Amino acid sequence: MTTTASALMTQTEAILDAIASEMRHDERVFYIGQDVGAMGGSMLGTQGLLAEFGPRRIREAPISESAMVGAAIGAALFGQRPIVEISFGEFIPAAMNQLINQAPNLHYMTGGVARVPLVIRTRVGDGPYGGHPQDYSAWFAHVPGLKVVMPARPSDARGLMLAALRDANPVLYFEPMSLAHAPRERVDLDNDECLAKIGKARLARPGADVTVAAVGSMVRASLRAAEMLETDDALEVEVIDLRSLRPLDTGAVVESVRRTGRLVTVHESWVSGGIGAEVVAAVAEACPEALRAPAVRLGTAPVPTPSGKVRPHALPNAERIAAAVRRLVGHS
Amino acid sequence: MVVCRELDRALCQANPRWFPIEGEEATVVGSFIDLRVDDAVAPHYRDPFVVYLMRGADMWRLAAQVLGKAAGYNKGRSVPFNGPVELNVVPWVAGDLGTTIGTATGAALAFQQEGSDRVCVCTFGDGTANRGDLHEALNLAACWRLPIVYICQHNGWAISQAAHTYIAGSVVGRASGYGIPGACVDGNDVEAVRCTVAEAVARARAGRGPSLIEARTWRWRGHWAADDEHYRLDTQDPPGMEDPLDLYAYRLLEGSTCDLSALERIHMEVEAEVRAAMERAAAAPDAGASELGLEDVYA
Repeated sequence: MTTTASALMTQTEAILDAIASEMRHDERVFYIGQDVGAMGGSMLGTQGLLAEFGPRRIREAPISESAMVGAAIGAALFGQRPIVEISFGEFIPAAMNQLINQAPNLHYMTGGVARVPLVIRTRVGDGPYGGHPQDYSAWFAHVPGLKVVMPARPSDARGLMLAALRDANPVLYFEPMSLAHAPRERVDLDNDECLAKIGKARLARPGADVTVAAVGSMVRASLRAAEMLETDDALEVEVIDLRSLRPLDTGAVVESVRRTGRLVTVHESWVSGGIGAEVVAAVAEACPEALRAPAVRLGTAPVPTPSGKVRPHALPNAERIAAAVRRLVGHS
Repeated sequence: MVVCRELDRALCQANPRWFPIEGEEATVVGSFIDLRVDDAVAPHYRDPFVVYLMRGADMWRLAAQVLGKAAGYNKGRSVPFNGPVELNVVPWVAGDLGTTIGTATGAALAFQQEGSDRVCVCTFGDGTANRGDLHEALNLAACWRLPIVYICQHNGWAISQAAHTYIAGSVVGRASGYGIPGACVDGNDVEAVRCTVAEAVARARAGRGPSLIEARTWRWRGHWAADDEHYRLDTQDPPGMEDPLDLYAYRLLEGSTCDLSALERIHMEVEAEVRAAMERAAAAPDAGASELGLEDVYA
């Protein structure tokens, strides 16, 4: 009889479990970041790592994002497998030169020889403490040579981190902050099926009437919207968790829209130039005849994501997703 | 140094957009010549080729990069400052300045992680010295005592601007701000450069952390080969700036290490070697559609 180990974990606990288990059996994996030692990390994101692995592998760096990422790229070129934590996505622009001009170029520009197995871990979006909400994840999906992932549930948070740590390329790992300490879910610990997930979307909920393609925190909001629409409107909403912004699994969305004929995209980053636009474009290219109504893109209002009591007016949420679906099927 | 100069002259002649190194050979050669093959090197973009050659790259394939040939190590894709990756050279893959200071620092970090006594030597220009990358790297390397030597190849010019327009204080003076040793050396005197670098390398290898060296030299020619340098017609070369090749040749002759005919023979052999490499590169097929390499974007 095979027993499958599993545990109840939050998103943060699941990510930490992935990092620690990989560090236990791969000496080349080490961690660079701010406050990742004695404090246990921003939003408890590195709790326990220093105690288990010590300061040589859990390195506290000066507030120098460009040097941190540059040093990690160099270490990766010379045989290590670093994880760089940029505490919050708002600090990522400080490392842009390394992230755009170096990390994605090295393999291609050296004739396909150099390798940069590197994970950049950061946090974006609305969160329990209210700070640093800007979500710049879509910028990086534009760049050939980078991989960009964002989990929406604890088991994917673990699986995507393991996959990122075993990837031979630079992977940007964006954590939706609002999910960091969301309720625990059962995470399968033996299952290596997760390793194939970079570039593969997940069917989060099947449905026949409308396809909602969502990213990160908006997967949860979409599932809530789907429940509301089932109860109140007898609508069957299919929710697709994109999981990876690059490579982007447009095939999964196209297949779904062929069945439902309607498409809504939703993410916390802005609509214009966002991943939703890329998804809609893919559907328009592959099966324009399948769309029975114009596609709808949802995201944060086109303002710098505001703080405090203004913020809820800018962000997409379950109610707005439900309203968009109702408009789409003519129920409003 | 003779290889450095002759190859550079040939490349300038073949490609008007190549960046001449003439006059700075002692700094380039002296910075890297004494390293172990397992050490990492991160040469400045102004002639990294002599550093690749020290480590065993093929001259004709390096030249092929400058001519946009498929046989280049970069398959014709990048700015042509690359070579074989396996030679422990930090690759130069974009036109930006300063990022290789970061990646070179990472090579030193890798060596510290693996617990070896390998070191990294990184050169950069006096223009690049004003990128925040240098300051962040110096501080990070000092905090972590990384085994790296930073060398500013100070040639007095950042494209059309003279150093006094962009350097406040001195580059070497920045070392004290980060609590690391700083040394200034005559960048035209290859033995002086070797000596200064050797001390810093020994320190790094012994686990005593980074150093910053400023090697003072002079850019003899334009920023690029066809640069008419109209912006500095009124500028005098600084006094005492000697030809690094002459300086070293006189020293060899004075010390009776070799005679004039031996030096002439070296020049002739190198000229012939460069000519053959350039001819082979020129005859090779241009890079094109088959080097686009959609499959080479991800490893």
